[in-house]
Amino acid sequence: MAASSPTMSSPTEVSAGRREQGRPWLWFLLPFLVPFVLFYVVPIGYAIYQSLFRIQRSGGIFGTSEQVFAGLSQYRDVLADATFRAGVGRVLLFGVIQVPVMLGLALVIALILDSAVARLRKFFRVSFFVPYGIPGVIAALMWAFLYSPQLSPIVDLLNAIGTAPNFLGSGLILWSMANVTTWTYTGYNMLIIYSALQALPQEIYEAGRLDGAGGFRTAWSIKIPLVFPALVLTTVFSIIGTLQLFTEPVVFQAISTNVPSGYTPNMQAYAVAASNNYSFSAALSVVLAVATFVLSFGFLRFTQRRGEAL
Amino acid sequence: MSVSTDRASRGSSTVDAMPRNRRVREGSRGWGLIAMVFLVSLTVYFLLPVYWLVINATKTQSDLVSTNGFWFSRIALWDNLSALFERDNTVFLRWVVNSLLYAGVGAAIGTLLAAMAGYALAKYSFPGREFIFSSILGGVLVPATALALPLFLLFAKVGQTDTMWSVFLPSVVSPFGVYLSRIFAASAVPDEIIEAARLDGADERTIFFSIATRLMSPALVTIFLFQFIAIWNNFLLPRVMLNDARLYPLTYGLFYWQTQISRDPQLQTLVIVGSLVSVIPLIIIFLSLQRFWQAGLSAGAVK
Amino acid sequence: MFPAPQTRPRRRWVSILAVAPLMLAAACGSGGSSDGAASASGAASSSGEACAPAGGKVALQFWTWVPGMDEVVAKWNAANPDIQVTVKNTPSGNAGTYQNMFNALKAGTAPDLGQIEYDTLASFRLQKGLRDISGCPGVADAKSDFVGWAWTQSQIGGPGVYAIPQDTGPMALYYRKDIFDANGIAVPTTWEEYAAAGAKLKAKGIFLTHFPQQDANWFDGLLWQAGAKIFDTTGDSVKVSLTDPQAVKVADYWQKMIDDKVVATNLQGFSPDLYKAWNDGKVATWISASWGYSTIRDNAKGSAGKWAVAPMPQWNAGEKKAGNWGGSTTGVFSGSKYPAEAAKFALWLNSDPAALELANAKGGLYPANVAGLELPVLKKGVEFYGGQPVFDVFKEAASNVDTTFQWGPIMTDTNRFLSDGFTKALNGQGTLGESLKAAQTQTVAALKSQGIAVTE
Repeated sequence: MAASSPTMSSPTEVSAGRREQGRPWLWFLLPFLVPFVLFYVVPIGYAIYQSLFRIQRSGGIFGTSEQVFAGLSQYRDVLADATFRAGVGRVLLFGVIQVPVMLGLALVIALILDSAVARLRKFFRVSFFVPYGIPGVIAALMWAFLYSPQLSPIVDLLNAIGTAPNFLGSGLILWSMANVTTWTYTGYNMLIIYSALQALPQEIYEAGRLDGAGGFRTAWSIKIPLVFPALVLTTVFSIIGTLQLFTEPVVFQAISTNVPSGYTPNMQAYAVAASNNYSFSAALSVVLAVATFVLSFGFLRFTQRRGEAL
Repeated sequence: MSVSTDRASRGSSTVDAMPRNRRVREGSRGWGLIAMVFLVSLTVYFLLPVYWLVINATKTQSDLVSTNGFWFSRIALWDNLSALFERDNTVFLRWVVNSLLYAGVGAAIGTLLAAMAGYALAKYSFPGREFIFSSILGGVLVPATALALPLFLLFAKVGQTDTMWSVFLPSVVSPFGVYLSRIFAASAVPDEIIEAARLDGADERTIFFSIATRLMSPALVTIFLFQFIAIWNNFLLPRVMLNDARLYPLTYGLFYWQTQISRDPQLQTLVIVGSLVSVIPLIIIFLSLQRFWQAGLSAGAVK
Repeated sequence: MFPAPQTRPRRRWVSILAVAPLMLAAACGSGGSSDGAASASGAASSSGEACAPAGGKVALQFWTWVPGMDEVVAKWNAANPDIQVTVKNTPSGNAGTYQNMFNALKAGTAPDLGQIEYDTLASFRLQKGLRDISGCPGVADAKSDFVGWAWTQSQIGGPGVYAIPQDTGPMALYYRKDIFDANGIAVPTTWEEYAAAGAKLKAKGIFLTHFPQQDANWFDGLLWQAGAKIFDTTGDSVKVSLTDPQAVKVADYWQKMIDDKVVATNLQGFSPDLYKAWNDGKVATWISASWGYSTIRDNAKGSAGKWAVAPMPQWNAGEKKAGNWGGSTTGVFSGSKYPAEAAKFALWLNSDPAALELANAKGGLYPANVAGLELPVLKKGVEFYGGQPVFDVFKEAASNVDTTFQWGPIMTDTNRFLSDGFTKALNGQGTLGESLKAAQTQTVAALKSQGIAVTE
């Protein structure tokens, strides 16, 4: 994300003397920076600070406790933690499958809506976007009913024509959650890509038409490369969202016997904090944030290099 | 949305402004049919759970588990609605008002702050600019679960936990909004206009509030919408900060009922009909804003 | 295009950055100082703190998730103008309220009183969250008014008293009388007979019961009945013995039921799916607590009149042992300025007959108070259960619960580890015995990571 800043248009040249007068940028920035520092930077700082400590007790089980500096030992514990590793592996697997499927679907819808073949554009746009407006807690709740082996009309239907898979069983549950995420965010991503398509200059199409390029070729060789930055943006946000997966598995815990407490790293961080081991939870969250950064930044670098090669 | 608009736009190539006039003969009739089938089946996919919600909001608690989820049984929508609003001294109405305050006012202020910050980052050069920008974006990377306890301690320090402020204040910060508005300000507010205004003697504040905001308005609508939805859906912050049920936002209130279902099964119906009611304001907001915000989205993506 | 770097930008920039660490220090300070305060009061409480009424007008805050508790408290407020109690209704403990309580204790903003389940008491004591109220007027004398094990657990293995017992969940066997009768199955009195009943029901395509993956505290109740001693916190270190032979016996028994497909493995506890299965007669029994009578009544309306309640099956024929699942106490938090008044209220709340009756009617509480077990409403036949006076069974069970059972100091973690293991066992990727072993290892590690000495 940060890497996109070099593409920024150059700032206005303002004479030095003028700028000295009031530093207007500071007054524009401060109203945002003050709450940002208070509600993001300070808590993050506190979490990092806490992650360097460990609890020590004296005087028996219910004796006195104190925080002692423990260096990076919480981090060592996090990295060695089997549940954490399994959780990271699970969200990576989830992301490797779900993100491309969702974005592929979003791209195809956007291209169709942008092409001449589609009608009722506004209707489709709103219908596809509605799931994004439904809170995760409620969305997972609705899907919980639709997956339920006892209550779901879909399961009834599938049973009538054959056998329904157990959506909440250990084999499928991860993908049942992936479906909920796809359902929620496809429309949102589609709109970002669609808007990028709409913003493309008309002349490009004229050129394509003169070349005699058909719909598919226009899409493949002209449109997709031009909306590539939009795809990058949506991918980065999807990577972040995937690594922080929380609401869906938490809600699914109530209906499936297959979601343990450390199912995703974020769930584990929450559960560990709930049992008062805040230092470990903080270290876990920091590791997760760094992993998110590495993945999203690595993806950006990868796409940039690709861009240069083109 | 309506069919007639779409037809009208096909009749005259100059009317349809939003899906820009680009009706090139890209596909044959056959492809059009396939595309329509594809889109319609996706509509079924995306709206099926919503349809389920509508159907089941009309059912009694016992019909909910014993009748087909995709069709009506005894219609009890009115009973459900009045039970919803009467429950616990009309607490649901409070939740609706709370949510509108948290999300509406929060998103409005958040958008303003983000717009100013993004504008400053785009249009002024100062040392540390890129560092500040990267730090702001870095804020997105940290999972909210890690921030909950420190935020709570911070508010406890000033004795403001379990108040509306404790949920409202942190939610006005939108790093993504700053990102969008920086990119949009860079492209939509030409340097020449700023310079010209300066030569006319306008001060920086006037330039921003009367010229830049107008040029940036599509992006601002987008930021507002995203921020509104983000606050509306926020779950962790109210969970950590609030104990007084009358201060809950709508979604957390519904979750709170959901946790009590095994003690009081009637709440199951109320959660479902309440979810349906809670989705309505969001759909209204989409529909009324969608004209404005598309252009804003594209700016964030293309530049 | 970029303007040349300015000469003195840094300082301004630095000044912004400088604010952050300051505020950070402030935030940390808040945590640190309140920890100190809490531990100071904790140290004092272990030696039996003096506790005298403050006198004058006193306002108390009370967090609870029992429905209708505000009405009970309104009764108190009307009769005690000098001790006014404000109720905050919260989500249930493990749905986030315990964590909010812990956070509030850290920040020094905790209420005076809170609802705490028995298995979580030790966690609160571990965090110095509870006030020893044994010195408060009336508390020591109240011991004999409450069910034995409940009072013992409120002492958390020490001489002090940290909470007043509110309700309990003695366990029994809920079963579908109609299904048992139709298949000629007698009510099982031993676990062996219970398994045999399961085999017969399986032949009819009916599950004996469900194995709830999330309800580790249900499984704890089964261990409790079997006499397993999974924790001992009386010494200076915690003894963890989740693989106690009695515990392994229980695990192996249920593992066999899972292997034989006698119990449903895909029904989560308290899920709409389970309720549907009850309604449809696909699941025939539930080993559950006294409060479970309303769970079945309210969620499986279609099966009205078909259920009955019998004592829990026994490991040895002729015994009468019962387990306990759930129930809560009213604890006084360490930061309370008015512990004597808070204790007075807690005692009234959990022993006044009118209060108990209202709490039972509105919140379904089954009193931990011995006299409360004689409430008229608990003597009557219950229509949903074909007019059977089901609470007679629970009253007897309450007196047959092992009083020496102890919880661990991080029971939330231990139960989480157990539940995680159950997931594997229910999938055929492990066994319940292995769940116990894994929970043992993980609990020991978690205790050590919190600086608690452990013996295995």
